[in-house]
Amino acid sequence: MNFASPFSLALIAIVALTLLGLPIGHAMIGGSILYLWLAGLDMGTAAEQLLNGMYSSYILLAIPLFILAAEFMNSGSIMDRLLSFCNALVGRWRGGLAHVNVVQSIIFAGMSGSALADAASSGKLMQVLMTKDGKYPAAFAAALTAVSSVIGPIIPPSIPMVLYALISDTSIGYLFLGGFIPGILIGAVQMGWIAYVARKRNFPVERAVPLRELPRVTWEALPALLMPVILFGCLYSGITTPTEAAAAAAAYALLASAFIYGGVTGRSIYNSLMTSARITISIGMLIAGALVFNYVVTVENIPRTLAAILKTYELSPAGFLIFANIVLLLLGCFLEGTTILLVFVPVLLPTAHALGIDPVHFGVVAVVNIMIGLITPPYGLLLFLMMKIADVTLADLVREVLPFLVVMVAALAVITFVPDTVLFLPRLMGYKG
Amino acid sequence: MRSFLSRAGAWLYRRAENVIALLLGIMFLAFIATIVGRYVFNYPTGAMYELTVVVWLWMVLWGAAFVLKESEEIRFDLVYSAVGPRVRRVMGIILSAALLILYGASLPGAYKYVTFMKVERTDYLHIRRDYLYSIYILFLVAILARYAVLLWRELRGKGEEAADPTKVSSGL
Repeated sequence: MNFASPFSLALIAIVALTLLGLPIGHAMIGGSILYLWLAGLDMGTAAEQLLNGMYSSYILLAIPLFILAAEFMNSGSIMDRLLSFCNALVGRWRGGLAHVNVVQSIIFAGMSGSALADAASSGKLMQVLMTKDGKYPAAFAAALTAVSSVIGPIIPPSIPMVLYALISDTSIGYLFLGGFIPGILIGAVQMGWIAYVARKRNFPVERAVPLRELPRVTWEALPALLMPVILFGCLYSGITTPTEAAAAAAAYALLASAFIYGGVTGRSIYNSLMTSARITISIGMLIAGALVFNYVVTVENIPRTLAAILKTYELSPAGFLIFANIVLLLLGCFLEGTTILLVFVPVLLPTAHALGIDPVHFGVVAVVNIMIGLITPPYGLLLFLMMKIADVTLADLVREVLPFLVVMVAALAVITFVPDTVLFLPRLMGYKG
Repeated sequence: MRSFLSRAGAWLYRRAENVIALLLGIMFLAFIATIVGRYVFNYPTGAMYELTVVVWLWMVLWGAAFVLKESEEIRFDLVYSAVGPRVRRVMGIILSAALLILYGASLPGAYKYVTFMKVERTDYLHIRRDYLYSIYILFLVAILARYAVLLWRELRGKGEEAADPTKVSSGL
């Protein structure tokens, strides 16, 4: 590799600007402009790539709509009813509230596509409930909310999967289906670990809810529980496109919270729109930067070159998957998820393709990796969020997170090496892969 | 005079915020109209489809130009938050200057591309492409102005505070 080539210099510029603290989207656009400049190409190409790329990425419109749907659903009374429903199901077990935390995340995952949204919406409430009367140590409660939130974008809907669908030209519908079993699996290993420590540390049991009350509790939570049904009904019946399904889910969430749960005002709708728009714009700038930079990467033929290099090592598909997992987990310790997904995963894709790895399987594995990256120190956004919500130190939090991390990486290994965990449901629905 | 200016600035900022909420609202309604239009009225929905992508493009670039605060941008802040105020100031000066040079250098080419697109119109709504894409020029100029101010502040030693790591991410 020539270090004075326009591409190397552009790459160095992007890394340097990012390390200096320039927003990553701007760093990628700036570095790409530098490349065009040094290579003597038309610098208007940056504008052309960004504008045409954004304008033709219809699929990305699902992102603001999924965020909006979760915002509309995210009112206090809905969360209360969901929690009583989960409590009726698993509260009677030892470590009941801890199990409730995981089950709530699994259900909420069916409404929201973002782990941070999950932790932010239920984190505070769960922290108060779990640490009341000293039931659970604060650090354990906070760690649990952080790790269970990871399930959010693995079980559909999922914002990272929308991004993966964009970079890999894979069907959103099949990707979403592929996330179901891995998401449940991760929830299950978390609950397995809870069951183990609950005995060892003698965690409390909640007052058992009589079974005859279960129908009432379910009925009260039903409008919230129905949202995933609406979403997937629209998606898989072919009534709507995936993006439209996101809009239908948002419309349902708005109607449900207005007519059934109450408390919707013009002001609250405006605030939901504003919050969703702001998050969308942050992600959108990163996408814009990645579109321009990926043009440069394609012009330079980088993914193919890397595929050729990796080929000389004669990696087996399993060897490549191990390599990809390690790279993605390491990147997740330092980088933020969208960046990994938009910059590094496209580089790995051609090799995965050449080795005959299924793109839906690879996508779900990549997303699980990136989600685990949200709870790995030193840079784990869910850790930062829970430190703030629960007022615990990073060291205490990490100590409680580590065992969960171990069982989750074990689950990741299963998802990686048993492709059927991902592909069973998509194939059932007609996926030819 | 000073307080009038900052009041006017705050007023303008709230209006810029209104625009992104409005654009997202339009996008949401256009989607609902598409679904309802197709099944209830059996109405072709190309125009609504196009409206949603137009609104998406404008929302992201408008928001990035005028609404997004420094603390909301996705960035890598491990280094930035670990160094002292003096190093941070030098870093701020270098990155603002680099951005001004690069974005500034690309401005003529971008302007040429956008104005060249006047020959094309969108498929359904027949919007002239140079009008549609003009938001990019607005975006470039706004970002250049923002980083010029940032550079000026850093040079005079009145930099920004460290950003909050939970807010500088895409919030996946």
